[in-house]
Order: sequence, then structure tokens, then C-alpha cells
Amino acid sequence: MNFELYGDDSTGVIKLDPRTKMVIFLSCAITSINMYNDQYMAGYIAVLCLILALCGKRIMALKAFAAFAVLFFLRYCIQMQGTGTGVAISLVSVLLTVFIFMFPMVVSLLLLIQTTRIGQFLAAFQAMHLPAAAVIPVAVLFRFIPTVADERAGINKAMAFRGIEMTMGNVVRHPAQSIEHLLVPLLFSSVDVMEELAAASEARGLSTNLVRTSYEEVRLRPLDYVVMAAFIAFAVYMLTFSVTGLTG
Amino acid sequence: MIRFEDVSFHYGGQRGTGEGVDHLNLRVAPGELVVLVGRSGCGKTTVTRLINGLAPHFYEGVVEGAVYVNDVCVTTSDLSKTHALVGSVFQNPKSQFFNVDTTGELAFGCENQALPREEIHARVMQTCEDMKLHALMNRNIFDLSGGEKQQIACGSAYAAQPLVFVLDEPSSNLDRKAIRRLHDMLVRVKDQGRTVVVSEHRIYYLMDVADRIIYMDDGYIVAEYTPDELRALSEDELHSLGLRTPDLEDLRGSSGVTGGKGEVAVSSKPSVEAVDLSCYRGGNQIIDIERLALPENSVIALIGDNGCGKSTLSEALCGVVPSNGSVAFDGEFFSNKQRSHRSFMVMQDVNRQLFSETVLEEVMLNSDISEADARAILEQLDLGDTVNRHPASLSGGQKQRVAIASALCAGKDIVFYDEPTSGLDRAGMERFAALLKSMRDRVKTQVIVTHDPELIMQSCTHALRMDNGRVTGLYPLDEDGRQRVLYYFTSEDDGSTSRRRTRVTPLGKILSYTGRFKRTTVAAAAFMTLGAIFQVLPFLIVYWLISRALAGSPPTVQEAALPLVGILVCLVLYAILYIYGLQLSHRSAFGTLENLRCSLQEKLEVQPLGSVADMGTGALKKLFVDDVESIELLLAHMIPEGIANIAVPTVVMLIMMAVDWRLALLTLIMIAFGVSASGQMYGVGTKFMGSYFAATKRLNNTIIEYVNGMDVVRMFNRDSESLTKFEQAVHGYRDFALAWYKVCWPWMAVYGSIFFTCTLFTLPFGAFLVLLGQLELQNYVLCLCLSFGIGPLLVNVMQFASAIPQVNMKIQTLEKSLDRLPLRVSENDYTGTSHTVEFSDVHFGYGNDEVLKGVSFTAEEGQMTALVGPSGSGKSTIAKCLTHYYDVESGTICLGGQNICDMSLEALYSQLSYVSQEQFLFNKSILENIRVGKPEARDEEVFAAARAAQCDEFVLSLPDAYHTQAGAAGGMLSGGQRQRIAFARALLKDAPVLVLDEATAHIDPENAEKMNAAVAELTRNKTLVVIAHRLSSIVNADKIVVLDGGRVVDEGRHDELLARCAIYRTLWTSSEQVDSWALNSDPVAVSDVAVSECGASC
Repeated sequence: MNFELYGDDSTGVIKLDPRTKMVIFLSCAITSINMYNDQYMAGYIAVLCLILALCGKRIMALKAFAAFAVLFFLRYCIQMQGTGTGVAISLVSVLLTVFIFMFPMVVSLLLLIQTTRIGQFLAAFQAMHLPAAAVIPVAVLFRFIPTVADERAGINKAMAFRGIEMTMGNVVRHPAQSIEHLLVPLLFSSVDVMEELAAASEARGLSTNLVRTSYEEVRLRPLDYVVMAAFIAFAVYMLTFSVTGLTG
Repeated sequence: MIRFEDVSFHYGGQRGTGEGVDHLNLRVAPGELVVLVGRSGCGKTTVTRLINGLAPHFYEGVVEGAVYVNDVCVTTSDLSKTHALVGSVFQNPKSQFFNVDTTGELAFGCENQALPREEIHARVMQTCEDMKLHALMNRNIFDLSGGEKQQIACGSAYAAQPLVFVLDEPSSNLDRKAIRRLHDMLVRVKDQGRTVVVSEHRIYYLMDVADRIIYMDDGYIVAEYTPDELRALSEDELHSLGLRTPDLEDLRGSSGVTGGKGEVAVSSKPSVEAVDLSCYRGGNQIIDIERLALPENSVIALIGDNGCGKSTLSEALCGVVPSNGSVAFDGEFFSNKQRSHRSFMVMQDVNRQLFSETVLEEVMLNSDISEADARAILEQLDLGDTVNRHPASLSGGQKQRVAIASALCAGKDIVFYDEPTSGLDRAGMERFAALLKSMRDRVKTQVIVTHDPELIMQSCTHALRMDNGRVTGLYPLDEDGRQRVLYYFTSEDDGSTSRRRTRVTPLGKILSYTGRFKRTTVAAAAFMTLGAIFQVLPFLIVYWLISRALAGSPPTVQEAALPLVGILVCLVLYAILYIYGLQLSHRSAFGTLENLRCSLQEKLEVQPLGSVADMGTGALKKLFVDDVESIELLLAHMIPEGIANIAVPTVVMLIMMAVDWRLALLTLIMIAFGVSASGQMYGVGTKFMGSYFAATKRLNNTIIEYVNGMDVVRMFNRDSESLTKFEQAVHGYRDFALAWYKVCWPWMAVYGSIFFTCTLFTLPFGAFLVLLGQLELQNYVLCLCLSFGIGPLLVNVMQFASAIPQVNMKIQTLEKSLDRLPLRVSENDYTGTSHTVEFSDVHFGYGNDEVLKGVSFTAEEGQMTALVGPSGSGKSTIAKCLTHYYDVESGTICLGGQNICDMSLEALYSQLSYVSQEQFLFNKSILENIRVGKPEARDEEVFAAARAAQCDEFVLSLPDAYHTQAGAAGGMLSGGQRQRIAFARALLKDAPVLVLDEATAHIDPENAEKMNAAVAELTRNKTLVVIAHRLSSIVNADKIVVLDGGRVVDEGRHDELLARCAIYRTLWTSSEQVDSWALNSDPVAVSDVAVSECGASC
């Protein structure tokens, strides 16, 4: 899946606050490791995909749900039929189970990243009164990932001119060398970029003492509270039941 | 505003390079613009850092004295205070933005100042407006080119509205127009009373805004100049100071590269050739080049505005980005990979291409050169004492030379440089220029992507101009060429050439054209899916029958009858649904074609008439009819059937899972194999497809040309030549088509067999399970039946999958073919005060040739102005520019004081009629053809106009007189007759400005005389612009403008010119001779053809 970091929520029917999306993500992390009920799981993922679709990523939501449905169905079939040797069954079922349990987290992460711009993130963090020391590294991280991708693409071209491109053959024959040829320029170049970037952001006032404002409007609307409350409530419900062992 | 009080600074921390500065005393008043100049390492950048507080707060070091900005001591106060006062733009575009989206980046400075949101929005909007950033808004910064990023950085500083602007070499990546916008931004902020400090090597663009220029050397302020003082410095003085030219006009006088003694001659043999090169990225065609040949031993400057595809073209030629079409080095065609191994690019960010621990290892990496030779090459490049150093420890210029040395050591023939002199001072630039020259005998072709006119003037032999992904000119830098390049860099145009590019998937692109037929497409897909389900259903029924038989109770005839009827019904339903779906899908496909054609037509509408004519009727016909049509078949079947064919196998696989998951997974694995095989085919297929389409296009064009030119070809016995060309195109097509099929067929065979035999693998495995007793026999049979059912569907899916890129590519090509810049017009009405036509400094060229080189003249109202000059002097081009067939490159054409670009075409044409050399008549009656000039005219008016234009006599001799059909394109009439009809049209229209381009060329002298009289009568009090070869017709003109080589040589009346203008005298004499010859010969024998040939020959 393409974790492109240029978030876009312009096609969304609803616009959720980044904080809400973060709550959803956290709640998914808690919920999915404590949920052993298949019906709940299916419903939970359906709701997540629905939110993703409403936030503008319709095709992605559809794909995610279809993938989930197929895996879920396959696991169900295996359980029902009970045929096959023990090893094969357990191997396939374990794999499937892991996939399925990771699903809520993946979907909520997609929701968080793909529909949120950096400006919105920063604004949300600020609204949460997080200290700059916590906010800036996150923003820099987002900025850094595409930078590395960009550098890598450039280095790949440079490697092609020198006949040392990262082809399967070259990597297999000289693995250490290939990695060195990629990493050396990547590090030098990235260090330069990051230092200049740090200087530029300082000069442009990133470390201001004022309370930064934001171009992006980030505001918790009633819908945000509803969604947050629902997800938190469900997470708490799941947690209590899993702890008290009422399901399983 | 800014005060330096005996400031010294020396870097002490880990960060920062350079020696620092000593004992600076400087005061900059509000509203003042100060430029810091000096050699690299002289401390300019340190001064900017002292102002924005980065030194000492970010770049640590020892500081003495204090810097004040507006009474705030920035050396002691925290950076968090300084930023609100000082806005900074840095040199490197890629490392100064913090956000990933452009809009967020523009707002960044404002956000840090804690401005209210409404204010930020207003400022971002204002910045976008002032800096013309519309096309860059709301985009991913990583999709922008370097120059575009730098524009965003400038915009971001501008939006923050600080009191002081500090810019450190802001122009290094900008094109001329963006530099112009930067210049305008500086003027604006200066007018607002803000202070600007710019550190810059390229100073020419700052000369008219700068108040003071401060020269620094070795950390000290050495001298201070006013712009006038700096301009007054001689070339030698500038050279010794290490300063670049303050005025680009000075470069005009300097001598060029070509023609110097002892230079390597540029051979005419091409060393790099590209044919039908195209490049696609993110659903858009970026490059569209029909033919390009770079000569051997040349140094080519690749110039063009930001984002026009310069880097993409060089990377495509090098083979490091995927492209279509064919590229040859030295006459031999190579694949992308082969090309990347034979060429080299010195990147702008040279850090990316240094891989090794020492310089020597670096240049010998992966090359079989001996160490001695490598050392020799390094020695030649002044790198002799760095052989054992780590490349990362070298200076920027040295790193660049190491990269060049590695290209030389690997024996590369073609070397590209991407902005090699951005941020270099004069000495560095000159050293690089000298290096380029010395390399000319060692490498075949060097191409430099650059915005640096000084470098071009010093080192290049050719200029390659690009515009919006097309090559608009490749010319040698001789006297004319140098003028043209300088002209390109000095013209004051500040428009933005950035284009909004959106990323779309292939399918998305196709669907975007379905428009309101999207529903129909969806319905078609639904019906076909339903149909496909009925196609599979019979297999289930068969399964039921067999399972009964296997269970030991075979169904009786009565019992079996119903299922058998069911099978029949299924098949009938399948046929019905399928056909109905197909019908719907065709409806939507033709609807899509309609949308496509309409959208093409909309694009054609805004194109300059001239470029439409240049494209040729053949190419346009092919575009609108053939190309669009070829999409239909794919479109009608691909989307709906493709969806149906995917849906059904999916359902079947799910059923199979429910029956037995092991068999299902096994089948799935086989399908995965098949899909990957077809993926391979898809991959190699698309690689060859561009070339295949290019060959098709070439074949089409050649055939059209062959047929159109057949009469000429036969008459001049050029059969063999034209036949060779034809044969080449045919052979080329065959070869590319075969190459395409050759790579595709093996994969087609693989996936075809896998899909058809996916049962082959389930069969033994299933049988094995049955024997083991782990699988019931009937389930086994069901799985087999289902596998049989889906094979053909999957094959279909794969075929459609490969069709998607085909259609997509065709649509992109269609889009690209009409995306030339639209004609510059506005909605305004004509508001001119008179009908005086005024050309001022008009430049215009077709492709490689600049036709008008600064033409200025005035054609007064109520007067006759004649344009004369030898063939190719640009007379007709002037007429075409005046009638707005083309947009001029620069300069203005005004009608009554209003720029013709500032009115709508309707407004212009209501004031102006034009009679050209070639006339088009509609296949209607002559009466109607004349009435075109004024649709509401009564018949009598038409007749009157026709009489005035001397049409009467020949029209009345026609069978139906004025009601005779003119035939297709006026084919029934002779050239002279057509011209007279056109003339009548213009007379009928009676516009205040009349442009006659050789309007009497095809008319015999006798009638021409009469017509001239009529013209004189009818055009009294009008502005008349006449282009004539026969000067006798214009001796009475109020003003004669003599043109030669695209320039106005002289203007005046006939007698004056005859007395003083040599060119005019020559023209007059030859024209006299022709006239007398024509009059002496037998009047009966003077046919239209003879006269027009005379006209053409003088």
C-alpha cells in the first residue's frame, strides 16, 4: 500500500479532526488485541472502512474491506471444513488470524495519514497543548520520509550511470557493496538536507514562544465527540470483557 | 533598520563552513535594498546569517560586536524573537521547506507569528496573486521542480511580511520569468518601506532596484558601489573583483565560442538522435518530441522556463527515466539501460553521485581504466592533490569535477549537466566554462541544463529551447543565435509557466471522459456480470446431476429434465444479458468518444489559428477521427466486460473456498502465476508500445504525405526518394510491431495455457485427496467444473488489463497534441480610440528560425502602409501576427492603442479584414461565399461588392452566375478568381482596417489595375496594410516599410526610399523588370499561373 504522505481530505463527506483520528487509531490498537469475537471484529472493521470512505478514500476503503472479507471468509471456511493435515491448517489459520487482527490498526493508520496534512497535524498537536519538543520531531519525521524517497530516486539514477544500479543480480552478487553504494550518498545528502532544513525552520520561527496559529482549521465538532466517545466506549467495553474473561 | 556595530564572527561549532567575517560596520535604512557581492567564501552568507540570527544561534561561533534589527539586538536575543522581524530565503530549494504541501508552506511563517487564521488566509491568497503561484497551490512539494520550490520559498517569506528580507542567492534555480517575478516582489516590498538584503552572484536583475552594492572580500567589507558605479566598471575590473556582469546587454558584444581559432569544429553529424520521444508521468505526457538531433562536438545549452521538461528530457535521453520512442547515440539505437551506461549526468546535487571513500577509488569505480590514467585525468581537472581525500570533504566545485572525472574515466561520450553553475561565483563559472571547452574534443556531446546566460555565452555552441515539453528551437550560437538567447533572458515577461499536473490512474483518466455516461457504463457492467453468472451457473447444475449419479442414484429423465431446461434457460439468459450489456457499453463508449471529441474541439478552439494550420489537416483529421475512433472498441468492451470477468471468477473462487479451501488455494496460486506472467507481458508490452504507436503515427503521416504530394513527386521524378521514405516508414512499422508481439507472445502463451489448464493442477492433487479420503468425490467434481468455467473469463481479464494502458496512452497523446499555449485573448471589447496599427519591438519565430527580430512601425489611420522586402523578410508573418493567427513572442501589437491580446478575437475581427494569398471557399454558391463577409448583407450589397472586386465578368459567364456552386474548397475556380471573391468578401465586411497579403498575386495585371483603383476608392479613410511583390501597385502608398531579415530597414515614401535605400532600389528594379516582361508578352497567354510564378520568383 502506498503511504503517500500528502494527505488529502478534500473529497470527504465528513471531515474529522486529526485528534479524533488519533483516538480512533489508539482505540483500534487496544480493541483489536482484546477482541476474540468474530462478529464484533467484522462489524468493527466495517465501521472503520465506512469512516475511511466517508473521509474521502472510497476506493481504498472498498479495497480494504474486500481484502478483509476474503481473508475472513477463508478462515471461516477452514474452520468449518476441518479438513487437511494439522500443520497446514494451523499454519494458514495463524497467518490469517494475525492478518485479521492487524486489520483495524492498518485501516485506522491509513485514515490518520492519508487524510491529514502536516499543517493539520501540527494544529491538532497544538490544540492538545503538547510541548514543541514533542510536536516538531513528528512533523520532521513526516517531512523526512519523502525526502529520503526523493534522495533515493536521485541516487538510483546516479548509480545507473555508474553501472552499479540496484538490480537483483548486483544485490545478490555484492550485497554489502550495493548497500554501501546506496547508503553512503544517502547519508551524506540527508545530513546536509536535514541541517539546512533545521536552520531554515529555526530562522522562520518554528521555535517561537508564541502560541502558533494555523492555516488549517482544526476544531472538534459534535460529530468528532460522538465518534470518539463511541470508539473509546467500545475499547473500554472490550478491555473489561477481555480482562474479566467473559468472552473468549 | 539594520545596524552592524563592529561585528566579527568566526565559526566555532560543528556546523557551518567559511571563514567568518571581521569588523563589519554597516547600516541599512528602511526601504533600502542592499546587495552583497563577492567571491565564494567571502562572507556574504555569514552576513545574511548574522541578520537572521542563525549565526550565532544556530551556527555556533565566536561573535564580537552586535547586530541590531530595528533596535533588537539579534546577536543576543533569541531566534524566536528574530523571525518575526526577518524573513529569510535560502539558496537550496530542497532543504528550506517544512511542510509537504505548498499551501501549508506559504502559511508557515505566518503561523509562527501567531497571526489569526483569517489573516493567514488573506495573506496566502494575496501572495498567490502577487507572485502568480496559482498553478502551484495545494500541491505536494515533492512533485515540484527546483525552480518551483524556490518560488514557494520566496512566497512564504513574502506572506510573513517581515520588516527585513534576507535572501541568500534566491535566483540560483529560477527561470527568467521567475527572476522577473522575484524582482517585482523586491520592488513591491521595497515600496512598502521594508528593508532587503540580498546576497547574490547573479546581479544583473537587481541593478534597477538596488540602492547600494556592497563588495566583500575575505570577510571584510572592501567597497561600496551604487548600481551606476558598478555598471561603469570595465570588464577587466569586474573580472579582477570576481563579479559577474551587472548588465546582460554587455554580453551582446562578447565574442562567441564558435569561430574562435583552434576550436574543435562542430560537425553536422548528429551524435544524439531522438525520434518520437515521449515521456509520461502520473497520467500526463510530459515530453513530446518528434525529432531531435544534437550535433557532434557541441556544447548545447538546454534552456526553457521552470517546469517545461528540461530535466525530464535530459533524463529520458540518458535512459534513467522510462520513455517511449527511440534514441540513438552515434546512429545506433539503444535501450534505456544501454544509454544510461553510455552517458553521464552531473547532477545538481552532486552529493548523490559520490559513492567511494577516496577520490581515486571514486573515479575508478566500476571502470577498467588503469590507475595511472585515472591520476592523469584527475591531474587535468585540477584534482591532483585530492586523490586520497574523501569526496565528501571537498568543496562543491571539486565534487563536481570529481563527478566529471568519473565520467571521463568511464569513457562516456555524452555528458549532461544539471544547473552546474547555480551558486558559483564568476571565477567558478569561468573555470567551469573553460572546462566545458576543453572537454569538447574528449566527449561527443555535452548538454547543459541552465538558466545562466553568462555561462551559455562563454561556453556553448548551440542553444536548445524547450517550451511545455516540446523543442521549440535548436540553433547554433552564432551572431543571431546569441542575440536570440540574450533576448530570451532579457525579455520582461513575468507570467508563470508552471502547469497544474494532477495524478490520475489510467482507469480514472478514462472514466473522467465518460461524463454523464458513467451510469450507462456501470449498468453495462452490471448486466454483463449478471450474464457471466449465468454462464457459470450451468456448471453448477451439471455438478448437481453428476453428484446424484455419484451418490448412486442417477436422476431419472423426469428429474433431469428440469435441470437440463435450466441449463438452456441459463444460456439464453446469458446471451440476452450479455448482448444488452454490450449494447449499453457501446452506447456509453460512443458517448465517451463524443465527450473526447468535444473536449478536443474546445482545446482546438483556443489554439492560435497559425498553430492549427501548422498541424496540418491530415494530422488533425487523424486526431479527431482515427485516433479517437481507435479508442472505441477498447472502451466499449474493456470496462464493462473487464468488470464482469473479474467479478465472476471472484465469486467462483469464494464458492470453491466454501467447498474445499485447499483446492481453492491451489487454484489461487496457479492464477497468481498466470497473473504475474501477464504482468510481465504488460510490463514489457508497455515498454515497447510507445515505440509501436510512434511507428504507427509515422506510417500514417508518411502515407498522407505520399498521397498528397504525389503530383509533385511524379512531375519532378522524385519517385524513388519518396518511395524510400515510404518504405522506411512501412518497414519501421513492421519492425516495431513485430518487436512488440515478439516480447508479448511468450507471456501470452504462458498465461493463456495456465488459465486454461488451471484444472491441470487441481486435478491430480484433488484426486490424491480423494484417494486419501480427505475430500468427497462430489466436491472434487464441483471444483473441477468451476475451474473449467473460469478459465476463459480470466484470459479475457488479462486481455482487457493490457488494453487499459493502451487507451490511456492514446488519450494522453490526444491531450498533449492540443495542449500548446492557448492564444492570449481577453473578453474585452474593442475600446481603441482610432484605427492606427502599431507594432513595437515585435519578436516572433517559427521553431528554429526567428522571423521577426524586433519589428516596430506604425500604420496610420486613413493611410496606406505597404510592407515590402525580399522573400523571407517576414512580410506575411507580420500580417499573420496582426491578424492574431499567432501570439507574438514579445513586444506588442496595438490597434488604436489597445493591445490585440487585450481584446477578444471577435472584437479584433470586427475591426479588421484580411485577404491572404490562399483563400478558402465553402462549397456553397458564390453569392453565399461572398456573403460570409457580412451575413446580414442584402443581395444588392453583395453584388455591389462583387462588382468592385472585379468578380462580375467571370461570375456572369458561369452557368448559374452568382448561384454557381464553388465546389469543394473552391476547386471550380482559378486562383485569381478565388482571390477576387475573397476580396469581395473583405469589401463587403467593410472593416476599418484592411490587411492585404499579396491580394493581387493571382490576378492578371489588367484586372489588378482595375482592382487597385477600386481598392483605393473603397479604402479611403481606412487603415490599409498591403504586402506586395509588385511594387508598381504601391508607389502611391503613404508609407512604405522596407523589411530585410526580420528587421525594419527603412521607411518612407517611394521617392525618398528610391533615393536612399539600396534594398528598396533593388526590389524596385527587379519588380519593374517583371512587370515590363509581363506586359510585353501576349496578353492572352498571361495565365494566372504565369503571373503568380513571377510573383513568387521575385
